[in-house]
Amino acid sequence: MKIRLMIALLSITWVGQAFAHAVVTEDSLKTTPIHAHQATQVELSFNSKIERGLSQIFLVSKGDKHTLLTIAEGHKQGQILINVPSLEPGDYALRLKVFAADGHLTEDVLHFTVAK
Amino acid sequence: MAGIADFLDSLIGGFDLICFALAIGGLLWGLFVLRPWQARDGYQYNSALLDTAVALIYKGAFFLALAQAFKIVLKIWLMTAVLEQWPFPEFAQTTQFIGGIVRTLLTLFFAVYCYRYLAKHPFSKQCWVNSGFAAIPMIVSGAWLVHAAGRFDNQVMLMSLTVGHQLAAAAWIGGVFQLINLWFLRSGQKVPANLWPLLLKRFSLFGLSAVGMILVSGLPIALQYIDSWDGLIGTGYGNLLMVKVVLLALALGFAWLNKTAVARYLQYGNGDALTRSVPYYIEAEALILMILLFTAASLASQPPAIDIPTLTATWQEVLNTFSPQMPQTSSPTHTALIAGEAGRVAIVGQVPSLAATEWSNYNHNIAGIFITTMSFFAMLSYLKFARENKVLALSKYWPLGFVGLGIFLFFRSDAETWPLGPVGFWESTFNNGEVLQHRIATLLVFVLGVFELMARKNQDPQSKLPYVFPVLSAFGGLMLLTHSHVGFQAKSAFLIQVGHTTMGIFSLILACGRWLELKLDNPGKTIAGFISVAALFQIGIILMFYREPLY
Repeated sequence: MKIRLMIALLSITWVGQAFAHAVVTEDSLKTTPIHAHQATQVELSFNSKIERGLSQIFLVSKGDKHTLLTIAEGHKQGQILINVPSLEPGDYALRLKVFAADGHLTEDVLHFTVAK
Repeated sequence: MAGIADFLDSLIGGFDLICFALAIGGLLWGLFVLRPWQARDGYQYNSALLDTAVALIYKGAFFLALAQAFKIVLKIWLMTAVLEQWPFPEFAQTTQFIGGIVRTLLTLFFAVYCYRYLAKHPFSKQCWVNSGFAAIPMIVSGAWLVHAAGRFDNQVMLMSLTVGHQLAAAAWIGGVFQLINLWFLRSGQKVPANLWPLLLKRFSLFGLSAVGMILVSGLPIALQYIDSWDGLIGTGYGNLLMVKVVLLALALGFAWLNKTAVARYLQYGNGDALTRSVPYYIEAEALILMILLFTAASLASQPPAIDIPTLTATWQEVLNTFSPQMPQTSSPTHTALIAGEAGRVAIVGQVPSLAATEWSNYNHNIAGIFITTMSFFAMLSYLKFARENKVLALSKYWPLGFVGLGIFLFFRSDAETWPLGPVGFWESTFNNGEVLQHRIATLLVFVLGVFELMARKNQDPQSKLPYVFPVLSAFGGLMLLTHSHVGFQAKSAFLIQVGHTTMGIFSLILACGRWLELKLDNPGKTIAGFISVAALFQIGIILMFYREPLY
């Protein structure tokens, strides 16, 4: 909040992450819920080509504990597959750091719930 | 340090486009406007004109190569900071790295050719044509670095149209830079006086064609990326596109004034406006066009509206961000703010902080009251009765308000640091890049007020002090137009962005108005000055009614 005000008042600097170009257009979390105690593969589709080797997906659990997940190439253009391990019921998030082919590094968060 | 890299990354795109305009626009100016190999109409070009015109081209190209190389360095820096790992060897295999290196080398080749051959033979048609051929690979190579390169549909068409769009913009803006150079030579009596109207006339037609090309290439791109009215009104991409259209209209307004002055000169022989107002309109036009280039670079980092239909705001929501409401004049306590921070910044189990939202609303609204009051007195200072009244005449010292605002920001901007928070002043300033930048910004607002006050008290007509204000205002406008907001969902970020981009446009009007006030004679001087402070008043109003989404 303070940053926005500073900029509004002739600031010369900015320290925020740009809201970048690559965005998730489809994700399997909406259609296929993750069940407790069951490893799952999540599909994410982007609006842009993704450099998989320069992208990271973290599983974020309670207390903002981060676990790096493995990413595989999807079946379609711009799609990636994420292997999510077996989880206890609760609230989680996928934190994405994605480098798109157009050169923009994007950060995003997808929230999901594992039901009992 | 990722924040600094990201900040530089957002600016380097606009700088890259300015260098491109200098180099390629200058080349097109030479080929189609200057045409130095033709000694016709009895006009003689001298070496002062051609040397400086060519110097702008090769210097622009050298800086473009540097900017392109620096972009790669910034990407490496940013990835290392964000991913917390060295990005090689993966980065070396990306289009961005390979394309960036290729474009750097091709730009260097073009720059060296212009420096080695064109600069030594500026009257040679062959050298100009060869320079044109040397530029083509560099121009084409840029297609792999635009965001169309990452698209799945109509990729080649979008890449081609984007390059065409860049080329047309460079032709116009590079030509405007060359006109400013010509004016400096003309006012220093280094070129014949009759060259000024001649080249202005030639550029009118050329500039018109370039604007036509901008529209012809830009419209299909816009239609590919924006598929609805809501997409145009309710997304960051659409919003920045509208900003570009507004800036284009402002620049075209100045271009029209120039064209009218040239036509009047040709028809009636009245060349007064050509020397007393046209050069300054061109300076204002150049300022707007440079900001437009930064906005264009920023647009490329926004997700196209067509890709985020579920995150698009409605026009009613957009309108609501500007609706008048009572400013918030009471702030939550510092303790309440700090208590809510841990929950607000959490990823899982995030708890929106009402205190944070109200803290921000209070800061914005109070700043709005400061600016509205200042600009009210500023507008008053233009009225005759106020100037003649001893008390009201003091209203010309309205920039004193910036000094007060700087002090307010110093106390309110970083709640976790001294003087309000537990972290010490020096510790927070030097160990935290974000706080350091806030300190600099606060100092700037304060210094802006001090400089403008000094400028208004200074009686020396040669003083450069008055120019500090429009330059810093333009820079403030640039920042408002080229940055997005973090910590929010896309729709909330946009609803904040739309107010800030509107203030960005008003900041630019403030800058141009003040610039013209300093340069023009009356009545233009007073009109420009009043428009300038009226724009500041609008910024104050927007800030005064600002409301942040709960997050």
